[in-house]
Amino acid sequence: MAFESWGVAGPAVTAAFLASLVEVVEAFTIVLAVATLRGWRPAWLGTVAALAVLALTVALLGPLLDRVPIHALQLVIGIMLLLFGMGWLRKAILRAAGVIPLHDEDAIFASETASIQTEVSGTQSSRDWIAGLAAFKAVLLEGLEVIFIVIAVGARPGLLVPASIGALAACIAVLLIGVIVHRPLSRVPENTLKFGVGVMLSAFGVFWTGEGLGVDWPGQDVALLAFAAAFLATGLVTAAVLRRTYARALSDGARTGSALVSR
Amino acid sequence: MSILKEVVAELLSMFVADARQTVATLLLVAAVAALILALQADPLLGGAILFLGCIVIVIEAAVGETRRRGRRSHGMRL
Repeated sequence: MAFESWGVAGPAVTAAFLASLVEVVEAFTIVLAVATLRGWRPAWLGTVAALAVLALTVALLGPLLDRVPIHALQLVIGIMLLLFGMGWLRKAILRAAGVIPLHDEDAIFASETASIQTEVSGTQSSRDWIAGLAAFKAVLLEGLEVIFIVIAVGARPGLLVPASIGALAACIAVLLIGVIVHRPLSRVPENTLKFGVGVMLSAFGVFWTGEGLGVDWPGQDVALLAFAAAFLATGLVTAAVLRRTYARALSDGARTGSALVSR
Repeated sequence: MSILKEVVAELLSMFVADARQTVATLLLVAAVAALILALQADPLLGGAILFLGCIVIVIEAAVGETRRRGRRSHGMRL
């Protein structure tokens, strides 16, 4: 591919790969919980059923999207990307600052396992059905997010295939690692990934929303990189400042509390 | 039917994680759209306002959430 093509496709492939990685890891944790409790049959059946629904969704949505005028599509997708990307970035900043706890795949695996165990009563087949349904819901929900991300970052002629390749690569990577490791993928640096994805999706959101409103960004795809750099710097600085002030406020609050108690 | 409700609720929560941030973002886009389309301002000016506005919204959303959690847990001031 020529450099210009990589300059265009690179961010789309990377954003789709990293965002899909996060979603597929979350789905894998639930599928693994189901497989651990009830065996791989209900886990696979639930997963395959969800993938079939997702394939149908793509088959129906794809041709419909082609009919929407490009500016309107860019505007709608841009706004959705702003809401989604900036939401992820906000949460990633708060996790990095220690204000909210990090996402813990081991804890989610344990709680999902406990939840499936308490729900199952009755015959073997009804237990398998309930467990398979849990796998179906998880794969369907995370899969819908992946589809949205692929469509959103690929919302320009020639970018849908690279974005899809990025998402597919993430699915295969997680599947291979998961099958080998056979444990929740808790070592995946999820908040770092979400930080990066939040930055990229927010940058894409500003880019597409602007294009949808008729803005001719100077430097085109260079502007995209500039937006990403600005969101990254903003996120890192905000997280660093909040980490310091929140930690100081917590220790001040604890000192005040013990002073009140000791009176 | 409950699966459908869960799927719809989950999809909505993707885009409306924080109500304040969502409203601020939508208002910003509406304001920029009005500036460019209705008032015929230079689109690049509108683009700059959109970009800078988003940066401000992200900062405010993170700082605001930190303040609220701080007040809830220890009544502390940030």
